[in-house]
Amino acid sequence: MNVTSSILSVRDLGMSFGGVKAVDGLSLSVERGAIHGLIGPNGAGKTTTFNVISGYYTPSEGEVLFQGDRISGLPMYEVARRGVVRTFQHSTLFAEMTVLENALVGTHLAHRPKLAAAVAGLDKRDRNAALEKARAALDYFGLLSTADSRAGDLSHGHQRALGLAVAMASGPEVLLLDEPFTGMNPEETRTMMGLMEKLRDSGRTILIVEHDMRAIMGLCDRITVMNFGKLLTHGRPHEIRSHPEVISAYLGSARNVA
Amino acid sequence: MPSQLTRAGLWLLLICMLLAVPHGLSFSQQEILVFLTINVLVVTSYRLLALTGEWSLGHVVIMGVGAYASALASKELGIAVPVAMITGALTAALVAFGLSYPLFRMKGFYFLIGSFAAGEIIRLLWKRFRDPFGGPKGIKKIEPMPDFDIVIWRFDFFEPVSYYYFCLVVVGLSLWIMWRIEKSPLGLTFHAIHWQDKLAESAGINVRAYKTLAFVIASGFSGLAGALLAHYIGTINPNSFDLEQMVFVLTWTIVGGTATFFGPILGCAALVILNEIVLREFGFEQGRPLIYGFVLILSVLFLPRGLEGLLQDFTGALRGRGRQGSRQ
Amino acid sequence: MIELLAQTGLNSLYAAAYLSLVAVGLVLIFGVMGVINFAHGELFMLGAYVVVALYSGFGVPYILVAAIGLIFVGCIGILMEFTIFRPLRDSPLGGLVASIGFLLIAQALVSMGFGVRMEHVPPVTQEVIVFSEKVRLPLQRLFVILAAVMFLSLLWIFLRRTRFGWALRASAQDAEAAALQGISIRQTSLIAMFVGAGLAGIAGVLTAPLISVGPHMGHAVIVAAFIVIIVGGIGSLEGAIVASVAYAFIHTIVTTFWDGVIADITGLSLMLLVLIVRPTGLFGTTDRA
Repeated sequence: MNVTSSILSVRDLGMSFGGVKAVDGLSLSVERGAIHGLIGPNGAGKTTTFNVISGYYTPSEGEVLFQGDRISGLPMYEVARRGVVRTFQHSTLFAEMTVLENALVGTHLAHRPKLAAAVAGLDKRDRNAALEKARAALDYFGLLSTADSRAGDLSHGHQRALGLAVAMASGPEVLLLDEPFTGMNPEETRTMMGLMEKLRDSGRTILIVEHDMRAIMGLCDRITVMNFGKLLTHGRPHEIRSHPEVISAYLGSARNVA
Repeated sequence: MPSQLTRAGLWLLLICMLLAVPHGLSFSQQEILVFLTINVLVVTSYRLLALTGEWSLGHVVIMGVGAYASALASKELGIAVPVAMITGALTAALVAFGLSYPLFRMKGFYFLIGSFAAGEIIRLLWKRFRDPFGGPKGIKKIEPMPDFDIVIWRFDFFEPVSYYYFCLVVVGLSLWIMWRIEKSPLGLTFHAIHWQDKLAESAGINVRAYKTLAFVIASGFSGLAGALLAHYIGTINPNSFDLEQMVFVLTWTIVGGTATFFGPILGCAALVILNEIVLREFGFEQGRPLIYGFVLILSVLFLPRGLEGLLQDFTGALRGRGRQGSRQ
Repeated sequence: MIELLAQTGLNSLYAAAYLSLVAVGLVLIFGVMGVINFAHGELFMLGAYVVVALYSGFGVPYILVAAIGLIFVGCIGILMEFTIFRPLRDSPLGGLVASIGFLLIAQALVSMGFGVRMEHVPPVTQEVIVFSEKVRLPLQRLFVILAAVMFLSLLWIFLRRTRFGWALRASAQDAEAAALQGISIRQTSLIAMFVGAGLAGIAGVLTAPLISVGPHMGHAVIVAAFIVIIVGGIGSLEGAIVASVAYAFIHTIVTTFWDGVIADITGLSLMLLVLIVRPTGLFGTTDRA
């Protein structure tokens, strides 16, 4: 793997909860401008890995590097400030606020609120710039017409798109997406896939954690497969699809479930 | 949407009404009006913290910090009363800043219990240290606001009307500042933290820092309210800021509803008027805690959005769009 | 010095006895229903006023008063469950706030009925066990200690050996799983409220002849109980008892060598410290926020 083009890398990552190792010695590297999938059967440790990268957990061992700087162990807001922004599973939004307000929260990093300026009314320029940025993010995801609706009233697909818009509004280098396709119908999935390709083509790097293999095969440039907390393999989609161990890992877990 | 002109007219009308109110009242009612004005500042500042989703049981003690600091600054250090009041507000903000470190390691009712414990510690310190806090008897003969003249009006601060006008200006200004904060991106950040703190953090918001900011601002205004109170009544003691007072503030806020800026003010005004007019008229004044207890329980049970929500539903129904008010 | 320490030990044993009765009830209610009963000190106060009304007022035999106090305050607990905690089941903070409302009502009603001045209950017994000149234990205090041990043992047997106790422990551990097992949350909540409130009531009955009784006496008790349940790990009955003993000992020592207010400050600071270091308490495993 070409080290120079890697924007985000995970080295020898270990994470235990009360003696149970959820992730064990995982290393992976995400190339700049790629859509990278992190997959594996249930309980493979991919969500834990995701939570470590985004700063939700502090790893027990190893480290996460972003553009060569260590970001593991930093609080989540600090990781976001460096340029690595995550979304959440399901439709985690500010449901009580309007769609536009949701996007405005996303602009927090670029336009930090200032107390004195806000009271004196001297932050007009900042506010307008934030508004513009928020509207642009909504427009990007086709949500501008819903700007004044309550976020909780949006359709499921729109709520997912809004989650992406909030993350996008903070202008990240790397987007971390937590199971973005779960619970979506085929049409919503297609729309979402289109949006992600659009994001990649605009120069963003995307890391997706997904359980569903099919959705991810057609989208990702690179895929890392985890099983039992460890790296199983990584490669291009067609290599993964025909990899015997991947197939048996998924089949094995399917059998366990059944 | 009212036009600029009608809005200005409404504001003018409100100001005229606020200025005219005390002249139709008896002396004791004027005094109550002063307390009501001060309490409006207390509940509004309380709501500012509640915006971030945290409920404190230490707010009234913080108000007391402002009262004690202002009283001591004028009495012991000879600082002029208006400056002492600002000192009181700043002290309260500073104490809140110090407390924020331990308290914001907690959330939800751990924060509630933690803020209660911190408040009790401060109250006990007042009780224990006769010098300078005066022990259980507190501080007496606090300097009153010095008299002064503005054009034709002589501000004689033994007159409740004069002090009411003074409070009106101070509280009005404070409310304006808090209103501006809430309507700014800062207010949006507080709301965001309330609804989804993890999502807010993923957008780069340092949740603890903003909670601390809300707590410090709220405490500063609460301290200012305490200072206003101290220099009016002239004597304060640890029991002036006990749990019962805190429960009154909690009741006003919950009864009014925290969804909008004016909810707690409405709750405060409604209950104080109910208390002073109804209870006093019927000679049932010691029944105040009883009434407050029932009102608190009933509003938690049946008015989840407070009086303000009720009013919204009502005006909404009048305008034929009652459904808008029914959103949670 | 040894004698002073022995006396302090006896005093703190007595304080630990009634404190643990109050705290265990509070923990039981929290465990089963997930709500902090802010009016728990007032239940203690009501227990004491049962003594004022019946024992000082009408001279009803003390043992009978104790039984009536337990049942009466237990029923007040059931009343609280029906009127506030059950309707507010989904909102622990709402339940807490409503219980503060209940606190005001209880204080106000008692103030109206009995007046706000302190009542002094005539002692049940004047006898004192004299160990040495400086170490003595009034019989009434011994009675409190023995009764607390008895009630806590009964509670233990009830929780470990009866079907109700099993249901209570199950729903304290995991309410949803318990519901799947066919345990009725309504039923366990009622039992928890009756037992929890009854324990606070009996603590009030037991201590009434030893302290001055007033409508606001619950405040000091609830503050101490909060300290104890937080330090003991909110949700842990054993932790509450251990913490009661430890807290009573520390409090009594500090009171003896410095003063009572410093002792209160020490306790509250200890609680804050525990909340900072480990928000779930020193013994606790339950994580509820």
